[in-house]
Amino acid sequence: MKSLCLNTVFSFALGLFLVPASHISAFDQPDHKDDVLLASMQRELQRAQTGLAKLDPAPYFLSYSVYDQHVAIVVGSEGSLVNSTQARLRTAGVTMRIGTPALDNAHEENRNSAIGSGMLPLADDPDAIAHELWKLTYEEYRKASKAYLNVKTDTQVHAEEEDTSPDFSQEKPRTHADYSDPGPAPDAKALEQFVRQYSAQFRKYSYIYSSAVVIAGQQTRLHFVSSEGSRVMAPGSLVRAVIQAETRAEDGMDLMRVETFQAESLAHLPTEPEIAARVEAMARDLKALREAPLAEPFDGPALLSGRSAGVFFHEVLGHRVEGHRQRGLQEGQTFTKKIGQLVLPEFLSVTDDPTLRTLNGMDLGGWYEYDDEGMPATRVEVVKDGILKNFLMSRMPIKGFGNSNGHGRAQAGLMPTGRQGNLIVTSSRTVKDSELRQRLLDEVKKQGKPYGLYFDDIQGGFTLTARATPQAFQVLPVLVWRVYADGRPDELVRGVDIVGTPLAALNRILVTGEKMAVFNGMCGAESGQVPVAAAAPAMLFSEIEVQKRAGSPDRPPILPPPVVQR
Amino acid sequence: MQVAHALVRLWGSPLGRPPGRGAANLASAGRPERPPQAGSPPHKPAGATFCAVVALLAGLLPAASAGQEDPVLQAMREELQRSKSQLKLDTVAAPYYVEFRVIDADQYSAEASFGALRTDVRSRFRFLRAVVRIGDYKQDSYPGSGEGISDFMPLDDDMLALRHQLWLAADRAYKAAAQSLTAKQAQLKQYTVDQPVDDFAHAVPVQSIGPLAKLDFDPRPWTRMLQDASALYKDDPRIEAFESSMRFGVTNRYFVNSEGAVVRSGQSLYEISVSGSTQAGDGMRLDRSDGVVVAGIKALPSPREFVARAAELAATLRKLRDAPVTEEEYRGPVLFSANAAASVFADLVGENVLGGKPGLGKNARTTGAFAASYKSRVLPEFLSVTDDPTISSFRGQELLGYYQIDDEGVPAQRVPVIEHGTLVNYLIGREPIRDFPASNGHGRAAIPANPPGPSLGNLIVLSAQPVSQEELRKKLIELCRQRDLPYGYFTETLGPRLTPRLFYKVWAKDGHQDLVRGAIFGDLDTRALRSGVIAAGDDVYVESRSLNIPHSIVAPSILFDELEVKRATTNKDKLPEYPAP
Repeated sequence: MKSLCLNTVFSFALGLFLVPASHISAFDQPDHKDDVLLASMQRELQRAQTGLAKLDPAPYFLSYSVYDQHVAIVVGSEGSLVNSTQARLRTAGVTMRIGTPALDNAHEENRNSAIGSGMLPLADDPDAIAHELWKLTYEEYRKASKAYLNVKTDTQVHAEEEDTSPDFSQEKPRTHADYSDPGPAPDAKALEQFVRQYSAQFRKYSYIYSSAVVIAGQQTRLHFVSSEGSRVMAPGSLVRAVIQAETRAEDGMDLMRVETFQAESLAHLPTEPEIAARVEAMARDLKALREAPLAEPFDGPALLSGRSAGVFFHEVLGHRVEGHRQRGLQEGQTFTKKIGQLVLPEFLSVTDDPTLRTLNGMDLGGWYEYDDEGMPATRVEVVKDGILKNFLMSRMPIKGFGNSNGHGRAQAGLMPTGRQGNLIVTSSRTVKDSELRQRLLDEVKKQGKPYGLYFDDIQGGFTLTARATPQAFQVLPVLVWRVYADGRPDELVRGVDIVGTPLAALNRILVTGEKMAVFNGMCGAESGQVPVAAAAPAMLFSEIEVQKRAGSPDRPPILPPPVVQR
Repeated sequence: MQVAHALVRLWGSPLGRPPGRGAANLASAGRPERPPQAGSPPHKPAGATFCAVVALLAGLLPAASAGQEDPVLQAMREELQRSKSQLKLDTVAAPYYVEFRVIDADQYSAEASFGALRTDVRSRFRFLRAVVRIGDYKQDSYPGSGEGISDFMPLDDDMLALRHQLWLAADRAYKAAAQSLTAKQAQLKQYTVDQPVDDFAHAVPVQSIGPLAKLDFDPRPWTRMLQDASALYKDDPRIEAFESSMRFGVTNRYFVNSEGAVVRSGQSLYEISVSGSTQAGDGMRLDRSDGVVVAGIKALPSPREFVARAAELAATLRKLRDAPVTEEEYRGPVLFSANAAASVFADLVGENVLGGKPGLGKNARTTGAFAASYKSRVLPEFLSVTDDPTISSFRGQELLGYYQIDDEGVPAQRVPVIEHGTLVNYLIGREPIRDFPASNGHGRAAIPANPPGPSLGNLIVLSAQPVSQEELRKKLIELCRQRDLPYGYFTETLGPRLTPRLFYKVWAKDGHQDLVRGAIFGDLDTRALRSGVIAAGDDVYVESRSLNIPHSIVAPSILFDELEVKRATTNKDKLPEYPAP
């Protein structure tokens, strides 16, 4: 079962910690003339091409991508450090295509046979780099050539596929050398100070029995060379803080608040007082949630804040317009045959624009210059005035879309697929944000409901796109308010999950606000964890279906928390 | 601290797996084929304590400043006090036993491949394990979910943060124990148990505050050594992998229980290794590895000595590549060096003398192959085996399995395991097995925070009738001649699963030996060890292993009267598709 999810909490660590940490010198590559790594990659690529050309079958495409990274992750709780790890690492991916672009080893479920990965030396030692690449390359050749034989056999015995597009797109070679400084390596001391400071704020709240602050930083330099003649060098950097606090209601329900802060550098994070205030708000929210009544199953009007709407679109629409999901027997293909058709209300448009670095002064998580297949990032108009126009394409063609549009993304060492970057939802039917609440109440009254729901914050979500599973999605809201028609004060409820099917949900949007809000997160799918952003205005839905969240029988801790006399 | 806990689930090594049974062993490398011998005799009298080694070599925090004031111990005691007196749900019995164990590990590890560093890591972490038992010593909530809760512990010596984490863990452990006991009682109704044994052994509470170990060394000469050693591939274009790694670390352990035990101890481990692989012309994969693991950095070979050993290893890879493949069939005498014999005893005796308790409803005595061998002969009469964690060296060579108090707060004991070939004891911790109601101080736990279980300390195999090396070789040749065999075999080193690596034909006619490759043993098992060993040498080899739990195996060379040697069929690969750079 394929499950895709946008998660604010744990994901960042996955990318970082499949490999152990280290603490070696900073990047020192002022320009490509001194780039020993790139030169070694290129030399070894040529040697491999010559060496493998004599074989049968011989590869028709070969590329090396190396992610030269500094990473740091620091965890704190109750004002104390829990872990602090810094690493320098070089992850290499060797991509090999055997056969012809029309039919090769990456066909259908053999897609992962096209990549092999491993770690490269940290020093600029051309011999050592060449040796590791050589090993990875001949091992990858074995995997790829075996897969190619399977593919040939399979296509002989299987019925003709619905989508007969080639397996690999033809693209022009690209040359790009951005040696600009990706910023200083994450400073361990600063990160440690960050987690100690903010995690200590929870010490005064005895009802918050579990909390943690995680901050991770990473600087990456992507080096890419291919047998087509591409040579790409692009920087990227990311700092991501996750603050999480938990309590438990008397009936055993776990209640969690999560705040995330994500930017290109520590300096771009919100100011200290702002973060401290958000932490205090988390504590207040949790107290309120403990005392809040349980939500009841509900089907009626709802208002989603901009960040909530962003997550909603990421899950419901974004994942379903990823190019590779439009072909293959296992995919649900919700939108495959809907090009040129209305899939959203006419007043809504959606683009995915990885070239956009900031929005309203906020760094966007899905910014990049080149994707993981060495293709330049491009802005893609996915939905224009409600009509589906395009998909997010990697170099895997689909019917009617023969080329990449720079959305082939992956975690270092995994096989890229079409992924989201910065998904941006815009609206031409807007009202002032201050009027949205009244519009919600109007809708509640019109439908004769006692109340509507306001979704203030969302922690993440997931969606299923496989055929074998219901074409469903779920987003996990944290702060949900009942807004009563009879003028009672708004009431916080707990234990709500939004559920539904995508096409129906998208067409119940009535109107939106004007202000764009940004949700930065890590998105997980087949090709691993990639940073993304989703931006949207607040949205009023005529109908949203919510269910009760699965409960837990656990009781709150038996003893009160320890008190330490100072 | 759910976040941290969940994060850990995602992490790769060294914080790779969540603490718990079967979790990552943080102080382990793959088992070197020629494991640890102390590079040179340690400069200390035999029997010097481990703590002394730590004090001398690893740097030492003054014991006086720790002791009563140690913030970690203080936090553990205070929360233990609260837990044992107040932890109680209305419908569930109060705990009869509570324990906290904290592991504080500081590690440096690095790895070089083809002459360049690939990883270089310093990591420090604290893990916690809280165990709460409900019921009584006869029948309680252990194991299953009653094995306790493990989690991270804060690194700062902040009383509130430390106690907060202990408080949550004890709460979870108590609730898990309650569930475990209910499930266990339901399950037990399905079985009749002939001779029930208690679930938990009584033990006298021990108080022992040892000095803390500190990791303090200059990594540069060692990382240089890794690069130099792994650069030796350059002399041989057919070497496909050549790697060298190091792992230096200290572990400080804290233990308190509701019976009154309070134990603190520090240990250090220094490990360096090298491994290489090549392919013979017919595609046969040939691997070799060498390593040293010791408790004191001064017992390591110097970087220069180690690089020389790496060169020797590279040379044997070349020789192996040129060596002929072993014959298809052979049945006859095989001589094992002490090095190879140590691997045999580790796998065939060491694993089986552990008194692991079988699952619920099973009537066997233990989980190992010696479950039904109590008071039976398992080795030839001239061999005896003792496990002695109370000594730190043997005949001038350092032992890794030295400790004073095990991970259940029980003092280490010397245990005669096999006397004159007969199994007389199992190694056990506080989980009794039939006829063994009390711990003999062998309950040890792998880091980060695994539950303790019966484990080896220093397993020492000695012969009552030792013979010289020449004598053994002579006997091998004699046996060949008696049976009209043109040659016998000599095993110098073994790889994983007791597969020969350096393996020689010894010609009966003149005694000279030829290296061969591609052999496996057909019937090297506990039965062969019991009936097939006809002589043992006067030499000993110390094989020290850091895997899971540090321990040593001491064994002499041995001669098998008859073993089957076959040609391996599985380890052939294609040669690289194009030549090395």
